[in-house]
Amino acid sequence: MAASTTAQAEQYDFDIIKKFTVMAIVWAVVGMFVGVYIASELAWPFLNFDSPYLSFGRFRPVHTGAVIFGFGGSALFATSYYVVQRTCQTRLWAPGLATFTFWGWQAIIVLAALSYVTGYSQGREYAEMEWPIDILIEIVWVSYLAVFIGTLMNRKQPHIYVANWFYLSFILATALLHTFNNLAVPVGLFTLKSYSLFSGPQDAMTQWWYGHNAVGFFLTAAFLGMMYYFVPKHAGRPVYSYRLSIVHFWALSFMYMWVGTHHLHWTALPDWASTLGATFSIMLLLPSWGGMINGIMTLSGAWDKLRTDPIMRFMIVALSFYGMSTFEGPLMSLKDVNALSHYTDWTVGHVHSGALGWVAMISFGSIYHMLPRLWNTQMYSTKLINAHFWLATIGVLLYITAMWISGISQGLMWRAFDEFGNLQYSFVESVAAMYPFYVMRAVGGMFFLAGMVLMAYNSYMTIRQGVRQAQAAGQPAAVAA
Amino acid sequence: MANEQAQTQTHGSGGGVQTTGHVWDGTLQEFNNPLPVWWTYGFYITILFALVYWFFYPSWPVGTSFLKGVNTVTYVNQDGQEESWHWNTRAKLLGEVQAAKAEQKPWFDKIASLPYDKIATDPELNSFIQSAGKALFADNCAACHQTGGAGKIGHYPNLADDNWIYGGTFDKIRETILGGRHGYMPPYAEALDKGQVDTLANYVLSLSGEPHDASKAAEGKSLFHSHAAACYYCHGDNAQGRTDIGSANLTDKVWVWADVPGGQDANAKLAAVRNLINAGLNRGVMPAWEGRLSEEQVKVLTVYVHELGGGK
Repeated sequence: MAASTTAQAEQYDFDIIKKFTVMAIVWAVVGMFVGVYIASELAWPFLNFDSPYLSFGRFRPVHTGAVIFGFGGSALFATSYYVVQRTCQTRLWAPGLATFTFWGWQAIIVLAALSYVTGYSQGREYAEMEWPIDILIEIVWVSYLAVFIGTLMNRKQPHIYVANWFYLSFILATALLHTFNNLAVPVGLFTLKSYSLFSGPQDAMTQWWYGHNAVGFFLTAAFLGMMYYFVPKHAGRPVYSYRLSIVHFWALSFMYMWVGTHHLHWTALPDWASTLGATFSIMLLLPSWGGMINGIMTLSGAWDKLRTDPIMRFMIVALSFYGMSTFEGPLMSLKDVNALSHYTDWTVGHVHSGALGWVAMISFGSIYHMLPRLWNTQMYSTKLINAHFWLATIGVLLYITAMWISGISQGLMWRAFDEFGNLQYSFVESVAAMYPFYVMRAVGGMFFLAGMVLMAYNSYMTIRQGVRQAQAAGQPAAVAA
Repeated sequence: MANEQAQTQTHGSGGGVQTTGHVWDGTLQEFNNPLPVWWTYGFYITILFALVYWFFYPSWPVGTSFLKGVNTVTYVNQDGQEESWHWNTRAKLLGEVQAAKAEQKPWFDKIASLPYDKIATDPELNSFIQSAGKALFADNCAACHQTGGAGKIGHYPNLADDNWIYGGTFDKIRETILGGRHGYMPPYAEALDKGQVDTLANYVLSLSGEPHDASKAAEGKSLFHSHAAACYYCHGDNAQGRTDIGSANLTDKVWVWADVPGGQDANAKLAAVRNLINAGLNRGVMPAWEGRLSEEQVKVLTVYVHELGGGK
């Protein structure tokens, strides 16, 4: 075992994967902490401390940036470099360029967070970075694409494994989305501010074409790639259906690009565009479920492992949340449902059932699978993984239940008329009614964060153990970042 | 062992399903199971759903126009004619607003035709005013005067007490809503010395029975009525204020600008009054609502606010 893993360590470029894995865990702790903080600000506003630097408006993009791009992005870099090497049986093409993607990506997350806290934002959701950071992202991303395609081209396998299709579609789509959404003219060379190339509804439309496809390709297709490697690998079973993987891959890639306009129902956007967004969202339901079916059916037959293996539990719960939130999404995209759900906490709950339930859970499972293999050791504690699993699951359930109740209450209160045809509630009354649910949401977030802290500790102890074992065996110490 | 089992075990289709024959990373393989039947039909159903949706709603762009769909919305155009148009959010909103207004029209017509005292004493009309007034107040007034008109000392007058700075009659409230108000008191920091301001503050506190220094208050009283400070000029000889210019009644224990009730001790209360005398007041601005609300809405709001605080 040890000998073969050592051989693998030489066969594959693990150093870059280790770096990204560690940073994924670091950003998860940071990003989720900020998330819990801003959730608490909504419940207990004194936490603003009357400081602009701590205000919700500035911290919110710090939270989304750290969890999506810091945690999610680093987890994707790590797993994609891991998967592409192992399934192509080759080392990374241009390892120097790969190292550049690491330092470049970390710099982006830090610079973005600093710029938000000091008040710089171009006001585009999930793309708040100002133009100089956007250019850095472009360079890092094209480098990533080059490393990934170069490695694929060097493969020693005749076929490209399904996980790699998903990773590649994510890298290509993200490049496209990032480029067009951020087309802007800087106000000057030495200023961070810029003007978007688009205006009015076109601008909003471009933003949501980007915004929803960030969900579709960054937070879905890419993590499906992760699922397609780590679920069958960890269960030791073949993928359920190759045919289903092909059909749902193309259907998903084709449908997602159309659905962004469902974020702009009942606005100045032309009605025909919003109809297309709604209907393509509906048609996206089964292509999304294709991935869930393939994952769950792959695990079936290995159900007994669920009793003993918390990593497997992370994976099955992730797939379940994926199935649930991809059912909820099309429902919310219908014009009439959206009239109730839009601008309410229901949307926030929906996003988090996908982000915490699916994206974070599948990443936890994959990282727990990868860690001992990267450092050639065992996980420090399976009990802690199990505790993490329960804290995370309870946290997500508290979170989304709170947001369902508060979101639907908001929607109903805002549209409630009394017997005389007058508005029954003022806006501030709906805000006051949200208080218990904002507390409940913050508590859910605390559970999730507590689990994440356990993971960080467990990972640190595992890595330390791996490094010490390597030293004791007289091997050169593995680089533990 | 798990792999051997995987090679032979199949799912769903009852045997004979093979892997695709490729192996990655030592153990990764793929079965070649067919698409689940329910998945395939489910996908067709969503496509059918989309086709039906496109049939009813505006959908595909064609040239410089787009497919309109068969759904229509009805609204009243500028000439007062009922008109139907293809489904669109703007006309739908217009139609719904028109329908809602038509439903409320009898109420507003009745309110427009009656004088204030008749409206206020009609129980049926009053129920309507409670409902419409609450919504109008929440939309237009509550941002400053707070829910229920509780106000905020130092910032926004309380409308739920029976203290009326500019008068609490129907006509005065209406005047306030339509034209807005601008409360002003000149700063005295330069006109008077510190000791003088201190005596005035003690006098003001004494008028409301708050803790004060009696001898300073007596000095303050004469200063109040002197030409040097000329407080009486606005606040009146009896310090009860004048509603025609909105000067505060200093004897009623109601504090609008100086946060005396919030003062922790006698010193803090004194400081609150002293600060106001020093700095004066130039922030009591309420915007005018004329032009933003209809005549009937102003009438509803007037009666509503009148009832909030037990008007005069």
